[in-house]
Amino acid sequence: MSAPTAKERKKCWEARDLYWQCLDENKDNSSTCQRLRNGFETNCPQQWVKYFDKRRDYLKYKEQIES
Amino acid sequence: LLLSFQVPQNVPRLEIEKARVRPLNSAGSTWRSLTSNSPISQRWASQSSSGKPSPSGPRIKLRTRLLVTCLFGGALFGSWLYVHSEKEKRRRLQRLEQLRKVAVGQGDFSLVDHKGEPRTKEDFLGQWVLMYFGFTHCPDICPDELTKMSSVVRLLDKDKALAAVQPVFVTVDPERDDIKAMTRYVADFHPRLIGLTGSPEKVKEAAKAYRVYYSAGPRDEDEDYIVDHTVLIYLLNPDGLFVDYYNRSKSDKEIAESIKRHMKTHVAS
Repeated sequence: MSAPTAKERKKCWEARDLYWQCLDENKDNSSTCQRLRNGFETNCPQQWVKYFDKRRDYLKYKEQIES
Repeated sequence: LLLSFQVPQNVPRLEIEKARVRPLNSAGSTWRSLTSNSPISQRWASQSSSGKPSPSGPRIKLRTRLLVTCLFGGALFGSWLYVHSEKEKRRRLQRLEQLRKVAVGQGDFSLVDHKGEPRTKEDFLGQWVLMYFGFTHCPDICPDELTKMSSVVRLLDKDKALAAVQPVFVTVDPERDDIKAMTRYVADFHPRLIGLTGSPEKVKEAAKAYRVYYSAGPRDEDEDYIVDHTVLIYLLNPDGLFVDYYNRSKSDKEIAESIKRHMKTHVAS
């Protein structure tokens, strides 16, 4: 399996950003953001989805500590 | 040296003190008053007009003394500066020689570039090298860092007086990152970016030489995995010596400035 191309990476990041933005705006209510979650999952490799989910948790945690 | 600033003995000290304590905002007028209106100059003037000036009048004497003092002091200071800088230069050359010896056998690698050519550290001697370890399946950090590294190279390229910096990307995922994968990946970042790969053993050696940690995570049903690894950009000088590293928090501009400083202080062999 070859790595995502620059174009595919960009598409994945955009989908991720939209999903994360939705979570931020809806107090992490994932059911409201289901449509964007689907977009995120179709545009990113499965491993990346898992990685980004953890990454968001980490970033949120960091934010919490720093504030 | 201080002795030459001695005030002529016949001038009352009090007068000078008075002239000195005048407010700062009239510094100019203080000088003028010292040279024209003050009792000192009046005294000198009256001395010289009295018809019997001594062959070395105090006025000339003071000026000459000052001049000689300044010249002498300047020469002394100048020679001290020279000796100091020579000493400093010698010290730095000695240090450099030591570091060059250390550089031999340090950070060695034997890999293959994205065009299939074998590459070792020796091939990069004489160039400033920016080096980053990562993998092409990397979700966000590697593309971010490689974009930043390319931006640093572009920033430095703008200054035509500087030597061109060589960006290098070394994979920590040799299993998937073959020459073809590297060719495709490096093209996304900078035209001069060189991708290095090799056998798992060779990659391990290279990473060890730079104390780069990496570990592949669990595989999913697509055999896909994420590689956890050290995220640092290394700077090697033309002697092949590792001189600095930059973590994620450093911006492209900060790194470019730091490299410029290293280039300035580097003594060419």
